[in-house]
Amino acid sequence: MADFEPLRKDAEVILAKYPRKQAAMLPVLCLVQERFGFISDEAEQWTANLLGVSVAHVHEVVTFYTLFHRKPVGKFHVQACSNVSCWLRGSEQCVKQLSERLGISPGQTTADGQFTLSTVECLCACEQAPMCQVNDAYVGPITPELIEQLVTHPEQVAAISTPFRGAPGLVEPVLSKRFSLKDSHLIQTYVRDDGYQMARKAVTELSPAQIIEEVTKSNLRGLGGAGFLTGKKWSFIPRPATAQRAGASGADPSSTDVAGRGIIPPKPHYLVVNADEGEPGTIKDRYILERDPHRLLEGMIIAAHATGCRQAYVYIRGEYAQPTNILQQAVADAYQYGFLGKRIFNSDADFDVTIHRGAGAYICGEETALLESLEGKKGFPRLKPPFPAISGLFGCPTVINNVETLACVPTILQKGGDWFAKLGYGKSGGTRLFSVSGHVNQPGLYEASQGVTLRELIFDYAGGIPEGRHLKAVVPGGLSAKILRADEIDVRMDFDSLLAAGTMAGSAGIIAMDETVCMVRALLYAAKFFAHESCGQCSPCREGTGWIYKIIQRIAGGQGRPHDLDILLAAATNMEGRTICVFADAAAWPVQSYVTKFRDEFSAHLSRPGADPPRCSSCRAESSTPALAHAGSHG
Amino acid sequence: MAEPVKTVTLTVDGKSVTVPPGTTVLQACEQADSPVPFYCYHPGLSIAGNCRICLVEIEKAPKLQIACYTQAAEGMVVRTASDNVLQGRQDVLEFLLVNHPLDCPVCDQAGECWLQDYYMAYGLYNQKFDEQKVKKSAKAVSIGPTVMLDMERCILCSRCVRFCDEITKTGELGIFNRGDHSELGIHPGKPLDNPYAGNVVDVCPVGALTDKDFRFKCRVWYLGSTSSVCPGCSKGCNIEIHDNRERGQRPHIAQGRRIMRLKPRYNPDVNQWWMCDEGRYGYKFIDENRLTQVQLRDGSGYRAGSWDEALGLLTQTLRRLKDAQQLDRAGVVLSTHLTNEDLYVAKRVFGGFGIRSLAVQPARQGSQDDFLRRADKSPNTRGAQAMGLSFDVKAVLERAARKELSLLWVFGGDLVELAGEAQAKTIADSVDLLVFQGSNVNRTCQLAHMILPSAVYAEKDGTFTNEAGRVQRIRQAVQPLGEAKPEWRVLLDVADRTGFLWEFRDAQGVFGSLASHEAAFKGLSYDVLGDQGAMLPQKGSDPSGKGSDPNR
Repeated sequence: MADFEPLRKDAEVILAKYPRKQAAMLPVLCLVQERFGFISDEAEQWTANLLGVSVAHVHEVVTFYTLFHRKPVGKFHVQACSNVSCWLRGSEQCVKQLSERLGISPGQTTADGQFTLSTVECLCACEQAPMCQVNDAYVGPITPELIEQLVTHPEQVAAISTPFRGAPGLVEPVLSKRFSLKDSHLIQTYVRDDGYQMARKAVTELSPAQIIEEVTKSNLRGLGGAGFLTGKKWSFIPRPATAQRAGASGADPSSTDVAGRGIIPPKPHYLVVNADEGEPGTIKDRYILERDPHRLLEGMIIAAHATGCRQAYVYIRGEYAQPTNILQQAVADAYQYGFLGKRIFNSDADFDVTIHRGAGAYICGEETALLESLEGKKGFPRLKPPFPAISGLFGCPTVINNVETLACVPTILQKGGDWFAKLGYGKSGGTRLFSVSGHVNQPGLYEASQGVTLRELIFDYAGGIPEGRHLKAVVPGGLSAKILRADEIDVRMDFDSLLAAGTMAGSAGIIAMDETVCMVRALLYAAKFFAHESCGQCSPCREGTGWIYKIIQRIAGGQGRPHDLDILLAAATNMEGRTICVFADAAAWPVQSYVTKFRDEFSAHLSRPGADPPRCSSCRAESSTPALAHAGSHG
Repeated sequence: MAEPVKTVTLTVDGKSVTVPPGTTVLQACEQADSPVPFYCYHPGLSIAGNCRICLVEIEKAPKLQIACYTQAAEGMVVRTASDNVLQGRQDVLEFLLVNHPLDCPVCDQAGECWLQDYYMAYGLYNQKFDEQKVKKSAKAVSIGPTVMLDMERCILCSRCVRFCDEITKTGELGIFNRGDHSELGIHPGKPLDNPYAGNVVDVCPVGALTDKDFRFKCRVWYLGSTSSVCPGCSKGCNIEIHDNRERGQRPHIAQGRRIMRLKPRYNPDVNQWWMCDEGRYGYKFIDENRLTQVQLRDGSGYRAGSWDEALGLLTQTLRRLKDAQQLDRAGVVLSTHLTNEDLYVAKRVFGGFGIRSLAVQPARQGSQDDFLRRADKSPNTRGAQAMGLSFDVKAVLERAARKELSLLWVFGGDLVELAGEAQAKTIADSVDLLVFQGSNVNRTCQLAHMILPSAVYAEKDGTFTNEAGRVQRIRQAVQPLGEAKPEWRVLLDVADRTGFLWEFRDAQGVFGSLASHEAAFKGLSYDVLGDQGAMLPQKGSDPSGKGSDPNR
């Protein structure tokens, strides 16, 4: 039996960061896996004892998240992204070649224990499509030369980074202005560029109400995808009767009121940063984390001051190893500079930041699933109400904001809410980082006003469709958004315009598909994603996503039946709006929009008695369909 | 200063219903006689809201809401049977059955399966699913000493998981993996082995968790059900006795065993929805090692006797002692397993004779916890105490050993256990007539001169008084085996033969007399006891006893 005791010291350092032991579940399991390469039954038992949690619940967590392995993986774990953006740019070929060269199928490990090959869902590096994650490094676009290097000299394979594409329509970008600077991620350059001035001003000069008023004026909306007004969200956090910041006098548990009753100390407030970027087609938060992490930290300090939080947790997706390292360094430096920790900016205020890594589950981007995960459980979305503002992390009032949202905040304070609002369009203030991937000449990240049109983004910013082909369809706001046909792209990208166009702005992940794309196959990849990522809590979504995937798999394999399309639409519609969170809706929208808008194409894939086998000029009804690498069957 | 009681009034299917604040729509619907179906909801567990079958329409809500989690609000208008709701229910049911094996013919839950029931009530659709089902990792696996798991039948409602997390706080169960590969299971190192594990079978609405003790013994539609009280300890958990009422037609079922299983019966003041495994599986004595015949010592062996013969002999003995003014030479050992009715009649009859060497054998002590299990492993210690009976059995037995008794009448208890083997033998040799009246064979049977077969609790009507003083009814589920009879009935026959005449002829009558003669039971009757029992009255209190049970 393996000896876990040497890990205890490190584990206790982790435990000290959380008010409840169970919250250390993911980091402790990561620690165990780093040491042993996988998580055995004994490791689960040890973790259970350490955290005071039943071993069955540890096993639940280990089997829920894809990054935990129940058996050893190869020295080099090659995880080939097989979501839509990578597929559009040749991931099938890439996986095939990797398979042939390594002599193993996805899910297998070479006999010498050198390589494990996996296919995974979106790694949110769609500008590098087709891409792989080799151990921690993001590598792509994959070329035959890269595959050769990977197979022969895997230790030489290093992370590849794509340049930021720019903000051609903006006089002064908000989020990306430092992205292309040398050493933009370092605190020295950030401070040099007047960084942390707004945080200092907020903490030392502004009241929470003043900040919330400015942010409300700015029309800043939740840029993770929900589009909820940030100022409003912050205003939901209960204010203590005494407006003083905790730490001065408000939290003294021994004080009594006039009637002599003990005052219950107010519950702590938490700021949680949603850095669990996972919506397929979206790459934006990674750019902020890697290229301007101090802007995020500054936004967090301001948000914390506005909402009375003294502790923040940044929940960052587990695959984001490099962004995590950069953010870790940024946090350490900010502590060094006195921007974080006790009495920040020489004020009365304390503010601590803890980075918490996810472990591979798209659903944890849903804010209450994220909280569950942060508390050391499976990422099951919570029943609402109560909403996090009243009872969130550890049952305390909690503000949850996306990385990009918070990164806007320093500029809002600097330039004013009105300036920011005007930069945007309608009730969507400011700019956004648009991720453009798929069939465009220059895939990548662009910053533009909320009022930019989809056509501008695809044709002016991203350079149009390669090789003179025509655009066929576009996903405008991450894979969940309903698809638009090529004739529907003259739409502004703000939240309300896209809603009016029958789709959504979502995470601003744009996936362009040209005329060669088979829509059945495109939907197959979308359905595979939702079947893989459904948390399994609510019966309609758990059963519906898998059912839908199987039907499309059959159609794509040339085995479609006459009633399939009606069943598909029924299954999608029947799960929509019937579950705890909107994941089921998000899984239903692609089905509904692809099948409805491209019905003829789907019909052409169905077999009819006595007729020739179905034909599709794009996919030729390929019989091979991608397999679902389920968490349960995963290494 | 009392707060005014606030209430919430809402409309359910056109009917106005007023409920306390905090009531869920599901509860309000039940109150309005518009029950909604549910799987994951259980009134004794936290709300999971995952099965989604309890969808209802609430005016002004944009979509269907789950009734189990939504709080009733003033002026809310709820519809439980609109087309929209019925469609939603049917859709959810269809999803639940997508990966379900539909193996009803070989499923032990058939007949009491909520999938079957709701399919008949709300399903009846043409199945659209025509794909390969997800293959779960194992079928019919043992997950502990008492429970089997068929994970492919599981609808992942998480009731059992919540039971182990919230009620026993043992956490053995989990739902592993995710999406449609989710599976219920245990960690290999920790089986489902806690004193209340059997309850997970009760909370499972489908055939995923089945009871090793019961599975494949009897189809549930052959079961009769009788309300009773567990005799396994002084807690007095309310139970249902499920017997095979098709024994006559189907003697092959479970080798003719009559009692198939016990199930907990809801009583908010005693056991809520639960019972312990010790009680649940402690019913075997009903059909095993039973005494079914009157037996009389014949040399070194026994011969079958008749009640007439035995009672004649007993009457004769008592008369002789009475005539000789030697009733102090008779001793009686009663038991805390006897009902209040048995104890009362014994007290009256033996007291009427003037027998003073009468004591109740104290209960066997066993393991206990702070939930349901009590150390006192008998159901009626409190009843015997309430009647003021002596527990000084030692004194009675010592008199017997000193040859001061010529008749010793033992009810149910075991002299060997009480006094040790040698002393028991001495006692048997020291008395002229050792009577053992009991339901099951024990070591005293080999010493007794006369064996009288008793009915067990499942074969008679009566009451037990639990540790908290709650008097609760047991009811006859099956006929006494062979010649067995309730103890009180036998004692009445003895009394009849010796010239006493009693005003009661059935258990209810006995209890009526008990209530009027025993101050502790004043004001109680079977009607007052009802299905949930009533507290022994304290001076000036309401005998219905609501709110006075410390175990609430």
